[in-house]
Amino acid sequence: MTDERRVANVRPPTSDVVDEKTYDLVLLRRLWPFARPYARLFILTLCLVPIVTAASLSQPLLMRATIQASLVERSSSALGRVVVLFAIAITVEFMARFAQQYALQLAGQRTVAAIRTATYARVQRLPLSYLDRTPIGRVVTRVTNDSDALGELFASGAVLAISDLVMLIGCLAMMFYLDVGMTLVAICAIPPLALAVDRIRRRAREAFRSIRASIAQLNSYMSEQVQGIAIVQAFGREDACLAEYEQINAIHRDANVRSIRYDALLFSIVESIAAVTVAIVLWYAAVHVGGLGEVESATYVGTVVAFYDYVQRFFVPIRELSTKYTILQSSLAAAERIFGLLDMRDDDAPAGLAVPKYVADDDTIAIELRDVEFAYRTGHPVLHGVSLKVRRGERIAIVGPTGSGKTTITALALRLYDVSKGNVVVDGRDVRELDRGALRSKFACVPQDVFLYNDTVLANVAALDPNPDVERARDALAKVGLEERLAHRGGLEAKLDERGANLSAGERQLVAFARAIYLNRPFLVLDEATAHVDSETEARLGKAAETMLAGRTAIVIAHRLSTVRSVDRIVVVHRGRIVEEGKHEELLALGGLYARLYELQLTESTSPHPIAEAAAAAPIGGAPVEGARNAAPATQSAVS
Amino acid sequence: MLPEVKPPVLDDGREGLVEKVRPYAGRLAWGAFLLLLTQGAEKAAPWLFRIGLNALQARQGETVRNAALGVIALSALAWFVRTQSRMRVFNVGRDVEYDLRNQVLARVHLLGPSFFKRTSTGDIMSRATNDLAQVRLLIGFGALNVVNSGLAFVSAIALMFVVSPRLTLLALIPYPFLTYSARRFGKAMFARSSEAQVAIGALSERVQEDVAGTRALRSLGLEDRQRARFEKVNTNAIEKNLRLVSLRALMWPVMMGLSSIGTLIVVWQGGQMVLDGELTVGDFAAFNAYLAQLVWPTLAFGYLLGIVQRGRASYERVRQVLIAAPDVAEDADAIPAKKEGALSVRDLSYEIEGQKVLDHVSFEVPAGGSVAVVGATGSGKSTLAALLPRLLRTPRGAVFLDGDDVTRLKLSDLRRTIGFAQQEPFLFSTTVAANLTLAQDDPTAPGARAALEHAASEASVKEEIEQLPEGWSTIVGERGVQLSGGQKQRVALSRALLGAPRVLVLDDPLSAVDSRTERAILEALDRAAQGRTMVLVTHRIAAAARCDRVLVLDRGRVVEDGTHDELVLGTGLYSRLAARQRLEQEIAELA
Repeated sequence: MTDERRVANVRPPTSDVVDEKTYDLVLLRRLWPFARPYARLFILTLCLVPIVTAASLSQPLLMRATIQASLVERSSSALGRVVVLFAIAITVEFMARFAQQYALQLAGQRTVAAIRTATYARVQRLPLSYLDRTPIGRVVTRVTNDSDALGELFASGAVLAISDLVMLIGCLAMMFYLDVGMTLVAICAIPPLALAVDRIRRRAREAFRSIRASIAQLNSYMSEQVQGIAIVQAFGREDACLAEYEQINAIHRDANVRSIRYDALLFSIVESIAAVTVAIVLWYAAVHVGGLGEVESATYVGTVVAFYDYVQRFFVPIRELSTKYTILQSSLAAAERIFGLLDMRDDDAPAGLAVPKYVADDDTIAIELRDVEFAYRTGHPVLHGVSLKVRRGERIAIVGPTGSGKTTITALALRLYDVSKGNVVVDGRDVRELDRGALRSKFACVPQDVFLYNDTVLANVAALDPNPDVERARDALAKVGLEERLAHRGGLEAKLDERGANLSAGERQLVAFARAIYLNRPFLVLDEATAHVDSETEARLGKAAETMLAGRTAIVIAHRLSTVRSVDRIVVVHRGRIVEEGKHEELLALGGLYARLYELQLTESTSPHPIAEAAAAAPIGGAPVEGARNAAPATQSAVS
Repeated sequence: MLPEVKPPVLDDGREGLVEKVRPYAGRLAWGAFLLLLTQGAEKAAPWLFRIGLNALQARQGETVRNAALGVIALSALAWFVRTQSRMRVFNVGRDVEYDLRNQVLARVHLLGPSFFKRTSTGDIMSRATNDLAQVRLLIGFGALNVVNSGLAFVSAIALMFVVSPRLTLLALIPYPFLTYSARRFGKAMFARSSEAQVAIGALSERVQEDVAGTRALRSLGLEDRQRARFEKVNTNAIEKNLRLVSLRALMWPVMMGLSSIGTLIVVWQGGQMVLDGELTVGDFAAFNAYLAQLVWPTLAFGYLLGIVQRGRASYERVRQVLIAAPDVAEDADAIPAKKEGALSVRDLSYEIEGQKVLDHVSFEVPAGGSVAVVGATGSGKSTLAALLPRLLRTPRGAVFLDGDDVTRLKLSDLRRTIGFAQQEPFLFSTTVAANLTLAQDDPTAPGARAALEHAASEASVKEEIEQLPEGWSTIVGERGVQLSGGQKQRVALSRALLGAPRVLVLDDPLSAVDSRTERAILEALDRAAQGRTMVLVTHRIAAAARCDRVLVLDRGRVVEDGTHDELVLGTGLYSRLAARQRLEQEIAELA
């Protein structure tokens, strides 16, 4: 080992964090359709710009009038009039500013809400194949953080930068009106100021970029340290990782120090140039006052005082312009990311696809797969030439070893993915010709890994029905034997944690069963629906399942072959192909794959704790597993 | 600037924020002094303006020009001290933030599962960024404005008094209201921004949940209802945010309006005084300028309240991490490890959240020997593996390495001696090579690269690594190329091998590999086991068969203990497992 401190080399890449480009205002035009409903409010905001400007810029003029009244006219009544006008000016400014800001915020926030809704709706329509391979966090960020950043455009008033411009021009106009010569010398200071501001701003932008990149890196470094804590500890690399983190942290700090320097420079340059401008005005006045009489000089003093005021007002928006520019840029960057998502053309289950010709055999077929080929990743097909017919009212079981393609078959029937070859036909129509909502609402699914909402049991059983039928929900819960078990936790009103984490895996499946009963739909898909349910409960469930299955078309995927004996037909899948089909006894007699699977089951059911194996999920290894589950944007697995 | 390579001192729990700022007290004091100068320059300018205006009215050109020159000189000085003071004070905030952030990670490195179970990754990240930002704001912005506002008030009011005591009293009439409403606004802003934060958090959770559950949602065709639910939280978030921003919209006009009332009073009464000859026009203008200079400090006081509240609450959240108790700590008089590699587990019991996970487990592995730990999910075998190198809270007197209680050994020694590969291996989002060199003490040493490649080929992953888009430089992990479960396990295995440990603890290194790879790894394991002690946690009989001895765990208890040959002939769990795996093998080979 060398003397130097060992620095770990595990920092994540920064590539997708740093935005090098500047965004253009064309993006603002794309916001318009979302803002249009609030056009009146936006127009009101704009209409108030000249009023605010006039009310604000009349005040220095009134200050001059005050001096005029008290020094030149020497009249109390004139002074009184000016005071009244002054009071009117500040009242108008107050009211106009408030109305302007309020209208802007109202319209802005509503626009953001509309964009967020559109983004959310777009995410709902993204193909599952896209979501499978995109980290959840990235998608969520579009709907939340990015729309928030866009909202800053309104909240900060950056969108009203135009009013700053009007204020600047108004200031100049008033100064010219008061004294052309004085204005001309006063604006001498503007070109050097503009130059300085521009140069500082350029450097500040580099610093901001560095800050953003390093903070993102600090964040992901911390996140990975927590998730990989066992590795860091096991290899004793705490120090090396800390050394690397300190490096990134130092980059972050130094970039901040730079930005503080530029910010301080900008702030004080503007302040000082304002002071210099006042000095120039004084100097100019000193040169001119020599040739004036007493009265004129008094008027002249009033003009200088008004100038002083205008100069102060002139530099305030200049100071804020760079901040607003930064906000504008980050908002537009967010807008671009949002539009990037909204512009995605891939759709979940789009209508109007060219469908290979097929002729429906007869109307007794409920679900049919005809010569279907499918791959999650191109070049790696998981189904090869699968053909399968399910008659109306028929109950079939699909069995096969893990990874054989069982779940994929049901996913295709629901059109969660589109086939690459062949037809999937439901109720005599290719699924690509059906409305996805209409198609999917024919099915009730009980999956292996049940997804429950962070809501009440009732909302979960009633599938988020806005007007749930409480009696029916209670009945469904009772049928699966959950009513008693949940009674002491609040029954239907019991609140479930995220993903139903406060229920056991078995209880979650029972809730899903109750939901399927509640939904009362013609087609039923049970995908390893009882995998986590203990055998005692399963036996009780048997009756409920029997009534649920009665008169319905059902596809049952079962791990425990004992549960599939009562179905009309068993389909055996292996490596993406249907290899055997028939009744339990027939298949056993065949002595093929099914017979082997059955044999395997027998060894399992004699093992003392078949349930413990699947149900116990003690968090072992601690940190990484726990951390990853809580925060990592996990990709959805495409279980087949 | 290169970072200082000095590990930060760890918090002992009694240190408050004041202690964190103390090292920078000198710089803060210097910054405060510069602020004083800045205020001086700021207050002198209107005074010179006053002199200039009075001279202007009297048509004394020379004095006016001198005053103008004075203003220019002053603005140069002001430019310098203003820049410097802001930089110094704000930089102290940045430095404290830097220190605290390093201390957070240093503490995280000491913590174990009991902490991470109740604190999510997102939460820790938010403390290391958002909360630290609030603390920094408290120290930088807070300190600057306390000093600045204080100085500004005293100096401006004093100078106004010099000009006209009567006008000062009149002009300050709106200020109690201004101060009061600044505080009210500050409080309300704090409350409303917390509300908005909560609402946006709920929105984020909802979206997260919905995206995660997309498959389930689509299967049930619930998108419309889902969107209605989203609309509810979205509307709520927008309404809460609107409450916040409309308060902001109200705040500025109200503050400006109130301060304008002061100006109005000055125009009215001051104008009258000028008219009566009690006040010169220069006095009048300077007075107005001083009054204008009071507006910002007053507003800043309103802000300060919120900043102090938030900063303190945030520091408390950061402190909770800094004082979190480690699961595993090295004894002060820890002894070095002997590094022979003989393991002995004696009557080891372990509980997680009151549930017994290991129940009186005992076994011995001589140096160079190997033992397989077999059992169902939840039998406690992974916990057992993690207890050996003290990745969990290993009890005293239960695990011994070469006769020494592992809890008495130096942690770095212990973990260097016992190499560990997780079942669900974690790879950092960096290159494959960097993920492996993490296990090397000196990755730049000659031969380090060869060792790296050797370890990868031992774990039969070398070829696959070289076939990745950018070979060894391919970025993997969450933000890079996604490796398959089996590939990850083999990278983790090579990482464990690279450390050249005396004892190798492998937690189910075959759980995600296909049978062809399994064979390759089993051969690699044979080679790896040569000359070192191996504890192999596995559910694969083929792997267990290669160990000198097999331990079968069931609900934390050793139910079978013997060689593979003995156990497979028995009637217990192990023989049933063996029979089942033979069948699975046959099924896999069908078709």
